Amino acid sequence: MSESLVKIENIRAYYKLKNREVKAVDNVSFEIMENEIIGVVGESGCGKSTLSNVLLNNIIKPLTIVGGRVLFKSNGEYVEISSLTREEVRERFWGKEMSLIPQSAMNALMPTIKLSKYVEHLAQSHGIPKNELLKKARKRFEDVDLDPQWLNRYPFELSGGMRQRAVIAIATLLNPQLLIADEPTSALDVVNQKVFLKILLEMKRQGIVKSIIFVTHDIATIRQIADRMLVMYAGKIMEISPVDKIVEKPLNPYTEGLLNSVLTPEPEIKKRGITTIPGTPPNLIEPPSGCRFHPRCPKAMSVCKEKEPKLVEIEPQRKVACFLYSEERA
Amino acid sequence: MISKQMLKFIGRRLIFLLITYIVATTIVFILPRVIPGNPLNQILSRLSQVAQANPEQIRAAEKTLMEQFAFDKPWYVQYFDFLGNALKGDLGTSVSYYPRKVLDLVIPVLPWTLLLLLPATIVAWFLGNSLGALAAYRRNSWIDKGVLTTSLIVSQIPYYWLGMIFIFFFGVKLGILPVGGAYSQGSFPNWSWSFVLDVLKHYILPFASIVVSAMGGWAIGMRLMVIYELGNDYVRFSEALGMNDKRIYKYVFRNSLLPQITGLALSLGGALGGALITEIIFNYPGTGFLLFRALTSLDYPLIQGIFVILIASIYLANFIVDFIYAVIDPRIRLGQEE
Repeated sequence: MSESLVKIENIRAYYKLKNREVKAVDNVSFEIMENEIIGVVGESGCGKSTLSNVLLNNIIKPLTIVGGRVLFKSNGEYVEISSLTREEVRERFWGKEMSLIPQSAMNALMPTIKLSKYVEHLAQSHGIPKNELLKKARKRFEDVDLDPQWLNRYPFELSGGMRQRAVIAIATLLNPQLLIADEPTSALDVVNQKVFLKILLEMKRQGIVKSIIFVTHDIATIRQIADRMLVMYAGKIMEISPVDKIVEKPLNPYTEGLLNSVLTPEPEIKKRGITTIPGTPPNLIEPPSGCRFHPRCPKAMSVCKEKEPKLVEIEPQRKVACFLYSEERA
Repeated sequence: MISKQMLKFIGRRLIFLLITYIVATTIVFILPRVIPGNPLNQILSRLSQVAQANPEQIRAAEKTLMEQFAFDKPWYVQYFDFLGNALKGDLGTSVSYYPRKVLDLVIPVLPWTLLLLLPATIVAWFLGNSLGALAAYRRNSWIDKGVLTTSLIVSQIPYYWLGMIFIFFFGVKLGILPVGGAYSQGSFPNWSWSFVLDVLKHYILPFASIVVSAMGGWAIGMRLMVIYELGNDYVRFSEALGMNDKRIYKYVFRNSLLPQITGLALSLGGALGGALITEIIFNYPGTGFLLFRALTSLDYPLIQGIFVILIASIYLANFIVDFIYAVIDPRIRLGQEE
């Protein structure tokens, strides 16, 4: 049994506006184990990106951590990064312990200098000899199937897929333990997506990165890559389970709705076709009472409106927040 | 450092410049001729006053002058003569300063204009961009608010009005700086310390009026550019990789500066117009002053001559700016392959 790399405990991260609060991440707890890939899914505006900012402790006003804590395992002991300032975490962890592949990774490279120069600047920032990191970059470029010659080029000379691979290579240069990929595949065509996912898996297999948290709204990619799936809705975790189990039998009606809205190869789903969840995610300034999904939920009961379901383990490794599986129903 | 691509780029720019130069000189040739009036009138009326000459003599004088300036020939002959002579370095004879050569009139005043215009424009550009970037890095701080407000106010003040305010305040009220001219009356240009100091003293006000009024616009533009660049993905990515702030600011500054360099090239022409008026206000012996005299007396050859030289120097500056741009931005240099 491996240990957890990151522990997120009752974290609440709100965007504090003048006289309102947007509860983007509300009382969320989970753990990222060592050597695992967690896929985070949910519709747009469910707090997925905020969650990745919380993990990085990339807290810029108006985003504020209202409660809870994030523990990150570094050199064998847990550091409460949520109690440090953004600058402290940035100094100590970013690039070295945790790294990010941003949304639209294609534009993530500094456009007007050569990639090799960028790597040199990175080495300077971290106090590493330039040649050492350049050598490593050449090796890493080969790992992601890019000719190291491309290091002597400008980003705009590379194609979209190549740039994406260059971004992975550079993001993992310092062997971070945690890699946060924030919707990295949304701008790629299907072939490049496949290549990209393969590279991520390979990076993990080789131990270059320990754990990956993969944020996306595309369930199909998560099925291909993740060990566990975390379903978010309106700032809350609805369900967290191993991917194969969740796909086989989703517990939360929201998860079921999400899965039914994508085309998958199983014959029965082909027959049934795809359906959508009616309505849109709620306004997070004044979220619905009780279970936040109840206004859209096909199986809503009276209790759903009044009480908030807790995230409970109902089978080994399977946690769900829904009154359908709780004794409290009735 | 200069590659084959670079040479190709320069060659292309040069051809382009030559074409625009011909177009510009054509316009300069046409424009003064559209203004109603006869350039010879002034000379002739002076002649009639001084010499008390009879009408026939004046008509004869007009005829010789017409022939000498070739104003009697069809416009296209005049045009090609003008182009041909200009290429040979002969810009003709001035009408109002007859019989002095245009070139002899322009060459001595040109350095004064360049001395005023180039440093003022570059200093304004540099200061404005630095202030704008600083404001953007410290967004919403008091520095930002101060820079933005003063820039907005200052950029709307016409430079000539600012010049007059300066003259009134520093020259008349306080009396610490001279109100006009490039050097004290009675002294002659030389390289002695006292003369250089005298020139500097006369230089401050016109220089400051151009710098202050031009700076605001640059600061506002740069502030917006930097704020936009700071929101870019490469900034977020670099931060997440632990790149230090100083380096990221350098990236942002560099990328924000690129459009500002184009802006500098574009503004040189406008700045020249501004400098011309500033020269008139400050009684500064530059091309603006000379052009003013040429325009009021409809001195075709002199007007043409001044513009031919000014346009050439602006194009030269533009070319240099283009070159710098290509050095800084690889996308311009390499992107023209296709």
